[in-house]
Amino acid sequence: MTKSAILSVSRVGAGYNGKQVIHDLSFSVLEHEVVGLLGVNGCGKTTLLKSICGIIPYDGNIEICGQNLRHLNARQLARLCSYIPQRSGISIDISALDVVLMGFNPELKILETPDAAMRKKAMEMLSLVKLDSRADDNYSSFSEGQKQLCILARSMVRECSLMLMDEPESALDFGGRYFMLDAVKKATAQRPCSALVTLHDPQLALNVCTRILLIKSGCIISEIEPGKSGISEIEQQLTKIYGPLSVRQCAGKNGKSQFVLIKE
Amino acid sequence: MLLSTNSIVNSMASTTVKRNNTICAILVILLVCVAAGSLAVGKYPLSLEKILAGDEMQRKVFYTLRMSRTAVAVFGGAVLGICGFVYQTVFRNPLASPDIIGVSSGASLGAAVGILCFGSTVAITVSAFAGAVLAVCLALLLSAADRTGRKSTIVLAGIAVHALAQTALMCMKTTADPERELASIEYWIMGSLAGVTSSKIGSNLLICILATVALIFLHRQTILLSADEGEARMLGVSVRKNRFIVLLLATLAVSAVVSLTGLISFIGLLAPHIARLITKNNSISTMLFSGLTGGILLCGADILARSTAQTELPVSIFTSLIGVPLLIFLTLKGRNVS
Repeated sequence: MTKSAILSVSRVGAGYNGKQVIHDLSFSVLEHEVVGLLGVNGCGKTTLLKSICGIIPYDGNIEICGQNLRHLNARQLARLCSYIPQRSGISIDISALDVVLMGFNPELKILETPDAAMRKKAMEMLSLVKLDSRADDNYSSFSEGQKQLCILARSMVRECSLMLMDEPESALDFGGRYFMLDAVKKATAQRPCSALVTLHDPQLALNVCTRILLIKSGCIISEIEPGKSGISEIEQQLTKIYGPLSVRQCAGKNGKSQFVLIKE
Repeated sequence: MLLSTNSIVNSMASTTVKRNNTICAILVILLVCVAAGSLAVGKYPLSLEKILAGDEMQRKVFYTLRMSRTAVAVFGGAVLGICGFVYQTVFRNPLASPDIIGVSSGASLGAAVGILCFGSTVAITVSAFAGAVLAVCLALLLSAADRTGRKSTIVLAGIAVHALAQTALMCMKTTADPERELASIEYWIMGSLAGVTSSKIGSNLLICILATVALIFLHRQTILLSADEGEARMLGVSVRKNRFIVLLLATLAVSAVVSLTGLISFIGLLAPHIARLITKNNSISTMLFSGLTGGILLCGADILARSTAQTELPVSIFTSLIGVPLLIFLTLKGRNVS
C-alpha cells in the first residue's frame, strides 16, 4: 500500500526583499513520517518553513493534504497544520494555560471561547510536557525551554495532519530534546499525520527522523534515510554540510542501536 | 492521572475565579461610590429631598448636568481603560495609547476646525469625532500599502499622520483669534468634562457602549493579535482583517469620548497597567478591570477638578496626579510580591 503525501512541495523558491534564499526545492512528506531539515545557519531552512506556512510569498507550488496552499485561508490552513516558530512572539503576560488554549482557535468561531472539554484537553497536554502545575503561571516568566514545551503543548492540542517545527528543541536540555521529538514521533505513529522539523543536531536527527533532507545554500543536496542508508553514505553526506566527521553505530543498555557522531 | 489533572484545573480555576470575583466586587463598589460622589459634588448644591420633592431648578441641574457628567466620566473612563488595554495588547507595547495611531491629534485638529469654522458646541464635538476617525483611517490606509502587513508599519503611519495633524493644528492656531478661539482650542486640548450636557451625549454614549461591548466579545482575538503575524496566522487568525476591526472599534469608542471631553491624559495608559498588576496576566478579567479602573479614575479626577478650586480645572491635571503615584506604588509593590 502506498502512503499518501501530506505535504508536497514542487519547484519552490522564496526569499526576502527580492533576494532569493531558497531555489527550486521539490520534495514531499508522506504520512507517518518525521522529516528533518538539516543545514548550516542561514541555508534557508526557516525560509522554507515560512513559505510552507504561507507567511512569506513564494514561487512554485505547495500542496497540503492535496489542497493548494494559495487557495487556503488562515483558518483552513491552521486546521491542517500546526506551526512552532523558532521563537514564539508572545511577549505579553499571559497564563500558560491560555497559551495552550490558543491552539484551539482554528476550531472556534470568532466570538466563541474555549469550552470545558478544551480546557481539560489543554491541561492534559500541559501535564504531558510536565508543566501542569504551572498552568496558571505567567508564560513570559518561563525559561526559553519551558516556553518551547508550552508551545509544543499548544501545537499538539488539536490533531493536525502536518506539524511544522522550526528548531522546536533549540533551548531544551539533553533529555528534553529527545522527549520532545519522541512525543512528535509517537503522534505520527498513532495517526495519519507527519512532521517537518528543522534541527541543528545531526545526531538527534539521525536517531529520531525517518528521513533527513540536507540543505545547502537554499537547495536540497541529498537525502538520508537513517534506517536504510549505509553508515559510510551518511558520513559522506553529512560531511558535505558540517565538514569532516565520523558516524558510528552502537547499542545502548537496552540493546537498541543508535547513531553517534564525532566531529573530526 | 486524568482525575488529578481535573482536580488541578478545578482548584486552580476556582481560586482564580474567586479572587477575580472579589476584586471585581471591590472595583464595582468603588465605582458606585465615586459615581454617587460625582452626582453629589458641584458648584450648585443639591439635596436628595429637594429633587424628590420636585424642585424645578434642582431637578434640572441634576438631570441635564450632573447625571450626564457622571455618565460621561464613568463610561468615558471605562472606554479609555478598555481601549488602552486593546492598543497595548495589539501593539505589544506597554506605552501604546490611542495617540500611537493618531487618535488624539486627529481629534484636536477636528476640534480646532470646529471652533474656527462653526463655533457651536455640537459642531465642535462632531468635528472632533470626525477628525479622530479620519486620522486613524488615514493611518490604517497608509499601512495597508505595505503588503506584508507588519505592525510597525501601522505605528510609522500613525506617527506620520500625527505629525501631519500637529502641523495643520499649528497653522490653524496661528490664524485663530488669540482672545477667544485660541483660548478655546487650548482649553479643549487640556480636556474637561465641564461642557457635558444631556443634549450632547446620547449618540456618543451609544457609540461607546456598542464599540466596547463588541471589543469585550472580541477579547480572545485581541489577545491572539499580540502574537507575531506569522504565528497568529498559523493559529488561524486573519491577522490584518481582525486587527483592522479591533483597532477601528477602539478608535470609534475613544473618539466618541475625546470629542466630548477633549484630551484626557494617562487613563488609557494607566488603567490597563493597574488591571494587569492585579491579575498578573492578560485575559478577559484584565480587560474588564481596565474598564472599571478607568471609570473610577476619571470619575474621581473629575470630582477633584470641579471641587478643588473656585474655577473648574482641567481634568488631566488630576488624572495624572492620582495616576502617577498609584502606578509607582503598584509597580514597586508588584515587584516585591513577585
